This record gives sequence, structure tokens and C-alpha cells, in this order.
Amino acid sequence: MNGAYDPVELGILWDRVVSIADEIVTALIATSFSTMVRESGDLSCMLFDARGKSLAQGAYSVPSFTGTGPPTMQHMLRRFPPETLEPGDVLITNDPWMGTGHLYDINVMRPVFHRGRLVAFTLSVTHLPDIGGAGYATTARDVFEEGLWIPIAKLMRAGRINDELMEIVLGNVRLPDMVRGDIMANVTCNEVGGRLIGEFMDECGLADLSALSDQIILTTEQAMRQALRRMPAGTYRNAFDVEGVDGAVRYAVAATLDGGSIAFDFTGTDPIVNRGINVPFCYTSAFCNYAVKALTIPQLPNNEGAARPIALSAPPGCLLNAERPAPTGGRHVMGHFVAPLIFGALAQAIPGEVQADSGMLSQLNCTGRNRQGQPIASLFFASGGFGALAGIDGRDACPGPSNMIGTPIEVWESETSMRVLHKEIVADSGGAGAWRGGNGQRIKQRNDTGHPLAIACFAARDRFPPQGVDGGRPGGLRQFLLNDQPIDPKGRYVLAPGGTIETLEAGGGGAGDPRARAVELVLADVRAGLVSPAAARRDYGVEIDPATGRAWRR
Amino acid sequence: MTYRLGVDIGGTFTDFALLGEGPRPVGVHKCLTTPADPAEAVLTGAGELLARHGLDFAALAGLVHGTTLITNATIERRGARTGLLVTRGFRDVLDIGKEQRYDLFDLRLRFPPPIVPRELRREVDERIGYDGRIEQPLDLAAALAAVGALVEQEGVEALAVGLLHSYANDTHERQLGEAVRSAFPGLHVTLSAEVCPFMREFERWTTATVNAYTQPLVDRYLARLEQGLRGRGFAGAFSVMTASGGMATTDMARRFPARLIESGPAAGALMSARHARALVRPWVLGFDMGGTTAKGALIVDGVPLVRHEIEVARVHAFKKGSGLPVRIPVIDMIEIGSGGGGIATVDGRGVLRVGPLSAGADPGPACYGRGGEWPTLTDANLLLGYLDPGFFLGGRMRLAVDRAAAAIERGVAAPLGLAATRAAWGIHETVNQDVARAFRVHAAEHAFDYRRAAMVAYGGCGPIHALRIARKLKLPEVIFPASAGVMSAFGLLASPLRYELLRTDRVLLAELDAEAYERRFQALEARILQVLEDAGAASTELAWQRRLSMRYRGQGYEIEVPLPADLPARETLARLPDLFAERYRAVFSFSFLEQPLEIVHWLAAATGPEPPLTVVRAPLPKPGAGTPPAAKGERQAYAPETSGFVTHAVYDRYTLRPGERIGGPALVEENESTCLLGRRAEAVVDEAGNLIVRQATDGAIA
Repeated sequence: MNGAYDPVELGILWDRVVSIADEIVTALIATSFSTMVRESGDLSCMLFDARGKSLAQGAYSVPSFTGTGPPTMQHMLRRFPPETLEPGDVLITNDPWMGTGHLYDINVMRPVFHRGRLVAFTLSVTHLPDIGGAGYATTARDVFEEGLWIPIAKLMRAGRINDELMEIVLGNVRLPDMVRGDIMANVTCNEVGGRLIGEFMDECGLADLSALSDQIILTTEQAMRQALRRMPAGTYRNAFDVEGVDGAVRYAVAATLDGGSIAFDFTGTDPIVNRGINVPFCYTSAFCNYAVKALTIPQLPNNEGAARPIALSAPPGCLLNAERPAPTGGRHVMGHFVAPLIFGALAQAIPGEVQADSGMLSQLNCTGRNRQGQPIASLFFASGGFGALAGIDGRDACPGPSNMIGTPIEVWESETSMRVLHKEIVADSGGAGAWRGGNGQRIKQRNDTGHPLAIACFAARDRFPPQGVDGGRPGGLRQFLLNDQPIDPKGRYVLAPGGTIETLEAGGGGAGDPRARAVELVLADVRAGLVSPAAARRDYGVEIDPATGRAWRR
Repeated sequence: MTYRLGVDIGGTFTDFALLGEGPRPVGVHKCLTTPADPAEAVLTGAGELLARHGLDFAALAGLVHGTTLITNATIERRGARTGLLVTRGFRDVLDIGKEQRYDLFDLRLRFPPPIVPRELRREVDERIGYDGRIEQPLDLAAALAAVGALVEQEGVEALAVGLLHSYANDTHERQLGEAVRSAFPGLHVTLSAEVCPFMREFERWTTATVNAYTQPLVDRYLARLEQGLRGRGFAGAFSVMTASGGMATTDMARRFPARLIESGPAAGALMSARHARALVRPWVLGFDMGGTTAKGALIVDGVPLVRHEIEVARVHAFKKGSGLPVRIPVIDMIEIGSGGGGIATVDGRGVLRVGPLSAGADPGPACYGRGGEWPTLTDANLLLGYLDPGFFLGGRMRLAVDRAAAAIERGVAAPLGLAATRAAWGIHETVNQDVARAFRVHAAEHAFDYRRAAMVAYGGCGPIHALRIARKLKLPEVIFPASAGVMSAFGLLASPLRYELLRTDRVLLAELDAEAYERRFQALEARILQVLEDAGAASTELAWQRRLSMRYRGQGYEIEVPLPADLPARETLARLPDLFAERYRAVFSFSFLEQPLEIVHWLAAATGPEPPLTVVRAPLPKPGAGTPPAAKGERQAYAPETSGFVTHAVYDRYTLRPGERIGGPALVEENESTCLLGRRAEAVVDEAGNLIVRQATDGAIA
């Protein structure tokens, strides 16, 4: 036992705080205005105790923000120590280094007072539809071009909106109604969170959350350390190339497992580049935490305990530790690779338990006007195939490591007046293997808005395919086409009315030798059109008689 | 004399309730469900019950039944070989789904496979725009050829049609439907806009495929049952309960089988609503805990809340997103979790967890002595003294205390280093907390203030747990209805004929005039009227309800606003901003946005007259005089406030008389369930035989 509560009480109280975090997410989604939040789920909500230790997160939250949230909380408390906070205060910031790695996300924090005492904090994070500057893209040369910077500041003081601050923000953005709506959705969900925490403490007779949070955090920490101790100690290295702007960027990591803790050193990673794809350290750290938790204690709720056994360092100025004022708008395109980088290193320690590379997400930021002439700034997310893992095929068109949701076509067309011509799975794009990598997809859209549409692209995996594990083959490459001509998946373009943009999403890597894949699984894939007969023969050594439907391995 | 029979087909048991012309039930019956052909248990069991009362099938004026057939067929994939026609370019919508992992950290996530496999989907050339404009005409000849190939080469028995934006304009779907039905008369055809005219293609098309997939099965099942009933001389009306708690004729059920999902539990919620009205309680929590699951429903002003999506065939029972979304009107039942069979384990955090796995009826809890080894909630309740090992199911089944103790010791107490009693109490209390938490979350989403509500507790296990859960929720009052064990079967007899439709049609409130508003509702109501008139309802008997789903323009989720009845359109429109703001504030604490309001969904429903029914246990003993009744005995049961066992008086519910009072700690037993009254609870028997319990609600975690 780790503290004041026995296993029965702990389970009950722990589940309750997680469910409060879930309710905050529900309120946020229900009241938000942008498709990024309500359709794509580009958000996270977290709960902290009075000392700022993270206690729970909403089950639906993206991994980047759940990793950056706890340090954001600490920065906020350094700027506004607890004694300077009063009931009804709300703090915000979009600082890339103290927040989520770029200016486009707003971090909104509210202290929770209960019976006159500060007992907790809630924090929500969402991607804003606009933050001014040159607009959300990878093309900036420094952070100043990327938009308005909001320091850690009080958006509300004792329940009253800071009108001047709001005016500065709304005066700097292209979609003031939507931005205000989303900021207020954040305020609202934190208000709901505060109310629920108060009710919870009353009902359970708790005057303070510290003892509970200590025990939750310690239990989680011990579970992770135990899982880490089961991995053989040692230093495991991995390095690969990722598509940059003027060529490849080298990533390198040395992961050292030592008696229940793990340390990552990113020495050997190339320096920052002169475009908005550099990654602040907070974002690198978030994906270290994500990767380690997924490999050790995926079933436990997330909190500070899951970060404690992890240490990391990266040389200042390298791409994964970009410093102010480097541009960071598309930091996720590069930052998501931290997860496969770590998976690749740890595959040497725990072979067979690590996932092959995923095709990852692509993102189009579309700004212009819809057919009715209303301004639009909407993100279109699309997923490549998920990497296979011994025992399970990678899912077709499935996000990883991040978890943005694809917008329904009917919703997308209604919001933007774009016309989606097709959205279909690409056969053979998943890497062959005993367990097949998920297939990517192909999506083509036409600009039917009647207005020119600016499209900023955020994607990688167009030169270096997702790799397989344990003899599994790589997945197919990503490709973007503008009016049927190849374009840079990190570029910004203007799509004239009637023009088309098509994205081919990368497939996931396979796991294990394809010739070990069961013949009936290959046959089922061929029947479903997910693997072609030619690929069945070439990659899997499986012949299929089209007349009888019989299949056999050569 | 005419009779009506309610038949609730559950996973394990089929329950029967028989009513005559009087308000009191003639008899109840329970027999094992026959999964291979559920009609068999219905016919046999009904015959037994009727014979017991010297009746035959000819005496029945009506038979209503609820069934989990559709849910189970979808989970077990026993439906028909089904094809799907979609707009060209979108064959893979069912595979791509929401492009979301329902668990962030689990790299081995599994998803339910789509109902229609990829090789049975065909694309047709056509396109409707988001504004309902036809952008490309339908190539009907090519579509018919594709259907021909599906029927002849692939042997499909059913076909779903899902075209983009058909909720805005269903012309192409209707054209396809007519042409396919006349070219392939044997084929079951489902149009997505007919089943749910709702924006979001993945959900709408999935709903259409579930409907098509279960159509042939339901058709055959109903035919067999009707034939069997007629063959036995039944000449009355045969109807089926829908998920939204309305009755449907068998023709409606054949067209829209997806609407029958979860119809059994809905009947229980409906009965709670009936009690809410009879006892004049404006806010009621219906709490049903049986052998495998516990469910809850919120009832406001005597009407259960309804929602418009349900997930079926979940891979992980409690993980949202791990099932198939089906968009149908459904009584908003919360899946609270475990019933008596819920298995207690120690999870990855080293804390106690109960469910979602259930020992079911076979092997059942360890104390059943049928080979079950896992500790379950029922084992805990037995160890705590809440159940009498000699009086389970009225003594028809003996429970083994030693087996229960051994299972709890092995599975929970030893691994956690707890004494057996503490472990058993932990199992019991964890379930109480799970249920209370689920109610709380659910109530918050619906702005339902449970502190003003009464709980109606039923099902085999509900009455043991109800009071402790109520105390956590600060609920002042709990009602244990008479004959709680077969309440769902009664609920079937309590439901009126009902049909409702929802249509997506986005429009800004500011741009809507009274005439356009009225026109939209009337179009919906005309479709509803047609379905109900086809079902034999008289239009003069129908009660109509209208609701709007609204939001601030730019938001993606709506709040449902019930509209006042009999208010002219112009005045309703004028009051809408206030009605909306009121609902918004109730849910989210704030409403300060000066954004324009938008209507997204239009909902209309019509309900026929309610069948007469008062549930009274018969015969009721003569009134008592506010005095305590005689106890039939006493036993030691666990009292958490003393951390030990104390003496509980045991009462026989069948001998209680109206007006009698019972103070806790006490146990009130009937054949199918036991009511547990804690130290601070006091029960009164009302005129209808219900136990009305009030208790002090202060106190903390225990």
C-alpha cells in the first residue's frame, strides 16, 4: 500500500477523478466552435492537485498536450504563484516553449477553490483556428512571423474577463468569432471542472487532494518502474532520416535502461532548420513520455507518475531542442518522429513487443471563404496506416502516434464547400509481414468554394517509408498532388477555384516475415481488395486461383 | 374477458406478465430463453402460463414483446449476407470509420469489423451536394447491374443504400430503392435516409447496414412466431417494443429492425416512468440491476430521456468508440456496469475492480456451485449476509457460502492482503460507487439534478444496492415497486404505440419565419402519421411532441430544446433564444455568447393512447396501522458503520400491509429480490404495495 487509502478506496477515488477529467473534455467538445476541436479532437484536458502535480487526464486527449501540460502548469505557477490567484481567475498562454511547442494552441488554466482553499487546477488545451501572423504553416523563418504571442496572463480576474487582453487577441486574428468561441469553450469546460471537483470533495469528505494525488502518482510510478525493470538494462541506440526542407534531417537517440528508470539522449540529432518545423524541448519530452507509457503501462490512467521514471536531454539548438526564436509552426510533423525513434531503440531490448512504424497523419490547413462567402480556416486531418505489431495487423487509415480524428466528409463539405471526390484505401500500401501494416488512403478534393483557397501542408514520410519490424516490409510512401502535379508536403499553395488537391497517405510497416503470414489471411485480404494478387505472390509467396478461389503458398 | 401478455426475451430468461381487464396482473412466469429459436420459448412459456390459469391463446387480445435478438445477432454476426451501395469514391467509409483510436496508449486496439465486408460494397455514379443540390445524376442502369451482380454472384439477401448528403436530399436513394425493390422483389432493402436522416456518413451508413443485416432474420423470426401464435388460436394484436419505448407493429419492426435494439431494458425504464407518474415524482432515476448488467435511466416529468445514438457490439464493454454506432431513437439507458455476476479482479494498478466480465448464468457466481471459480458480486452479497443461502429465488436454488468465501479469498482478499469480509465489502461498495459515478456523469450531461429525484430500484440485484447508492447521490427517497423482478415484462404492457423521426436541416434562427418553421415540422409529422396509420392508429388519438436540436452557429454539438405544446409557431420562435439559453446554462454553467443561433435537427414524435395498467400485487392484505409488521426472522449482515455484522430483522414482503412501517437495519425478501434497509432508513408500504424508503443522506464515502 502506498498511502492513506486502501485499494478499495483508492480505486473508487481514482476512477472518479479520471471521470471528472472526461467530463471536462465532453464540455469542451460540446461548446467549441472550430472543427479542429469538435471534429478532429485537437485537445487535452488535465487535472492537477494544489501543488500543480498532474493527477488525471481526460481519456480522449492527444499525447502531445498531455505531455506538455504538466510543464505548462509549472511555468504558470512560477509566473503567478498560488498566493496571487483568487477564485474566478483564468490563466492563458500560447508560448511555444512553455506551452505546446507552437503558437497555435491555447493553454487555459483555472485554479479550483473549495471552501475558501486552493485545492486543484484544471487545464485545457486546444488548437486555435487562427492566431494571426502569416497563418498556420511550416513556411515561417522565425517565430515572430508565425503569429501573436500571448504571455502567461490572466484572461479572467475573479470572474471578470480581461477585456484589453481579449481585444488584443481578437484584433490580431482572422476569425475573431471562432477564436473567441473556442477560448470561451475552454473557459467553460474549466468552470465545469471546478464545479465537479467541489462536488466530488464534498461527497467524499475530502478537504484536500494531496494525499490522494500522492498515492495515485506513486502507484503509477511504481508500476512503470516495475515494467522498466523487466527490460534488460543497457544502452540502445537508433538513428534515422526524416524529410526536412532542404534535405534529410538526421535523428539520433541513445536510450539507457537502468534499474527501473530510462534516460534518452538525443545527441547526434541535426541542428534546427530555417523553416517552421523545429521542435521545442517540451514537445520532444511529450513524445518520450507517450512512447514509454505505451510500451510499459498502457492500461493505467496517465498522471505525473508516468513521467517520473523518464529523463531526457538534447543538445540545445538541435532540431529536437529548438530555442527561441526558431520557427516551430509545424513542430508536430517532425516531433511525432520521436515516438518511432524510441520504439526503434527499444525494439532491441524487447523484440516482438514493439510496433512497426506508422504512416502517421497529414494535415491541410485550408483558409479562404466558403461558397456563402463566410471565412473559413479549417484543418483536414488524414491518417496513414497504423504500424503492425506481432499478433495484430496494423489498422488501415488509423492515426499514430497522435490521435486526431478525420472530419466526416459531409461535415467537411458543409463547412467549407470543398468537394471530396474520393476517399479510399490504397491496396498494397501497408507493409507486408506476418502481421500486415495498415494501408494508407487516397483523398482527392476539388475547390468548389468559388474563391481561391490557401492550403498549408503538414506531412512527412514522402521520401523515407515507414519501416517494418522483425522482417516486416516497409509501408508505401506519402505523396501530395496539386492539380495532379507532385508538391512539397510541407509547402503552402493557393488552390484556384476548380483546382484539385490529392493526398496519398503512407502505409504502416509490417511485423515479421511475410512468408510466415497465414495463407487464409492473405486470401481474405485479396478478396477484400486490400492486397493485390500480384503482391500476394510477390511479397507473401501466395498463389490464388481466381477460378476456384483456392490459395496456397509456393 | 380478454387478456394481454408481455413477453421480455432476455439473454438468459424469458419473462412473462399476464394482465386481464382489471388493473392487477393475473400471473407472471419465467422460463429459459431458447437462443437458437427464441420463438420456441415464447410459445412454450406463454402456453404454460395460460394453461396454469385455465386460459388459451384465444383469450389474448394482445401480445407485446421485447427482444435482444437484434443486438445479439449484431454481436454474434448471425445476420444476413448484406451488400451496400455507396456514392462512387466512398466504398471505404465503413473501414476508415472515425480515424480515431479509442484508447491512446493501447497499441493493440481492435475494432469491430464492418457489417458489410468490403467485397460486398459497390459504388454508384451520382452526387448530391451538401446543400441538397443534385450535382451529378444517378446512373440507375449501372447501379441495377451492380445490385444484380451482388444478388446473383454473391448471394446477398439484404441491401443497404448509403449516398452522401442523402439527409439533405434523398431523391437518389429513393429512386434506387424503388428500382431495386421492383427488380429484385425478394431482396430486403434499407435506405440510409429512411432509417436515420442524419448528417455524418459513417454513422448513418453503419445504421443502415445494421438495419439491412437484421431484416431477413427479424422477418423470419416474426413470421415463425406469428404463425405459431395463430396456429394456437391467437387472434389478437401482436406488437414489438422499440428501443425508444414505443410499441411497433410487426410491419414496422420488419422495416426498421435497428429500432428494436435494446428493447427489453427500455421496457424497464418505461415502467419506472409509469411509477414516476403514478406516484407523482417529477424526477426519477430508474435503476435496474440484474444478473449480468446494471442499467440506469433518467425520467423527467414522467417521461424517460431519449437519445439518438447507441453503440453496439463493443470490443471493450465500457470503452466508448469500440463499437458500431447506430443512430436510432433510444431510451437513454446508461450502461452502469456489473450485475450480480460481475467478476471481481485486481487490476494493473493493484486496486479492486468489478466487471465488465460477468460469470453470467453459466457457470455463474461461485456460490451457485456450478463450477464458477471467480468471485462475483453475488458471492460478496452472500458473504455479507444480504442474501439468504436458503431463500434464493424463493428457495428454488441453494447458495454455497463456503464456495463464495473461498473464491473471494483466492481472487481478491489474498492478492490485496485484506480480510475476507473487507474484500467482500470492497466488492459491494465498488459496485455502489461505479453506479453512483455513472449516474452522476450521466445526470450532469443532461442537467438533471438528482438531489431532487427519487430512485425506482428493480431487477434481481437492484434492491440490495439501491439505498447505499442513493445516499452517495444524496437522493432522499427510494421506491421498491412490487414485483420488481419481472418489471420489464410489465413495462411492455405499459407502452403506447409510438414513432419518432429526426431530420438534419441546418438553418439560422434569424432566417427562419413562422411559415417555414411550421412547414418543416409538418413534413416530418406527415411521415410519422403515415407510419402510425399504417400500423392501425387513429390520428385523433395521437399526442404530438416537437423538439429542436440547437447550438450557437459554429459549434458542432447541439442541445435539445423541448418545445412547449400548443404554442403558435410565431410565439415559439420568439421564445426560442430564451429556451435555448436556459438549457445551455443548465448544462454548461455559462451562456454569454452573442453568436447567432442555429437549428440543426428537427425532431417530432407521436404517441398513441397509453394502455391502462396499475401494477399492484394481488391480493393485497388489509391495511396496517402504521405499525411495524411481524418479522419472519433475523440474520447477521454487514453494517459498514460498525465495520462488523449486526442483527437485521428479515421480513416477508408478501405479508406486508399498506401503512406498515419498517425501520432499518432490515432485509425485506420476495422471491426474485431482497431490499436492504440500512440503519438510518425507514420504509412505508403504500396502497399499491410499493415500499417507499426515506433515509438520512449525510455522510461520506461509506
